[in-house]
Amino acid sequence: MSSTVRTPEEIAARVKALESMLIESGVMTTQAIDRMVEIYENEVGPQLGAQVVVRAWTDPAFKARLVADASEACKELGISGLQGEDMVVVENTEAVHNVIVCTLCSCYPWPVLGLPPNWYKDPQYRAAITREPRKVLRESFGFTVPDDVEVRVWDSSSEMRYWVLPQRPAGTEGWSDEQLLALVTRDAMIGVGPVGAVA
Amino acid sequence: MLPAPYADPVDQVAARDRITDLVCDLPEASPEQLSFEHPWEIRAFAMAVSAHRELGFDWTAFQQALITSISGWEERTGTSDRGWSYYEHWLAALESVLADLGLLSTDELGRQTRDVLAVPANRNHHEAHTEPIAVDPARRTHH
Repeated sequence: MSSTVRTPEEIAARVKALESMLIESGVMTTQAIDRMVEIYENEVGPQLGAQVVVRAWTDPAFKARLVADASEACKELGISGLQGEDMVVVENTEAVHNVIVCTLCSCYPWPVLGLPPNWYKDPQYRAAITREPRKVLRESFGFTVPDDVEVRVWDSSSEMRYWVLPQRPAGTEGWSDEQLLALVTRDAMIGVGPVGAVA
Repeated sequence: MLPAPYADPVDQVAARDRITDLVCDLPEASPEQLSFEHPWEIRAFAMAVSAHRELGFDWTAFQQALITSISGWEERTGTSDRGWSYYEHWLAALESVLADLGLLSTDELGRQTRDVLAVPANRNHHEAHTEPIAVDPARRTHH
């Protein structure tokens, strides 16, 4: 067994290399691994993004800083790291709904959203969301954006990673942070789903 | 039309229960506290569980390899917890089990790891895109 101390980059690369080798040799499929990851993915990322969203909903000064410089504002909450260096938050309003994609690969703001879901990396999503965003949201995600709201699609790259600040739902005045946190889903921060329903 | 993005939530709960059963017998792991600090950790975790399911090897082999890796580390470092990474042992255990099955050459893994490190992430995608790449304008509904 290896006794060498590895840097985080080295060990992440080793895991990536092992996964490629196992997939190439047919030992397992990427879908099988993704399914397993999906069960746990809420434990590695989106809850951090949700904390940022709730803070923005409850603290207008923080929200202003977040929209001005997301990476810096996230650092205030102790959130930073690989692939989070150049994050830009796009804010949903009554008039504009935002969606993120990476048209070339799978650039994604890991520190706030965790691992990208499998479909985010799918060439079909990457092409279709750019061509017919409103239709893809409705047909593939069951999410209807009202016709009087403009849909904007933002292309993340390794130089600039977007994510979506959803609107705080009506009827949540006076809610605790815990209650609000439960409303913020990963899909809402990608822009392919609504925030949770207000009971 | 894209495939449904989510598995059935009922299946997910069942799958999670099965994983919990696997994990509760492992050293230093409690199923309630399965936590991940880095994306690679969840990847390594998922690979071991998938490998067990796909290959059907005895889970105790993995368990034993994990115990061996952790105790080897404890002997080397004494009682200090400096540099402790549970999932690093997890990865070492997975490598060891796969190598014993003749499915992995650790030399080859070392080479491929160096290749991964040599290629910068997203090497073709370094330009910042500062405007939306698609806009679906708002429409007035007519009655």
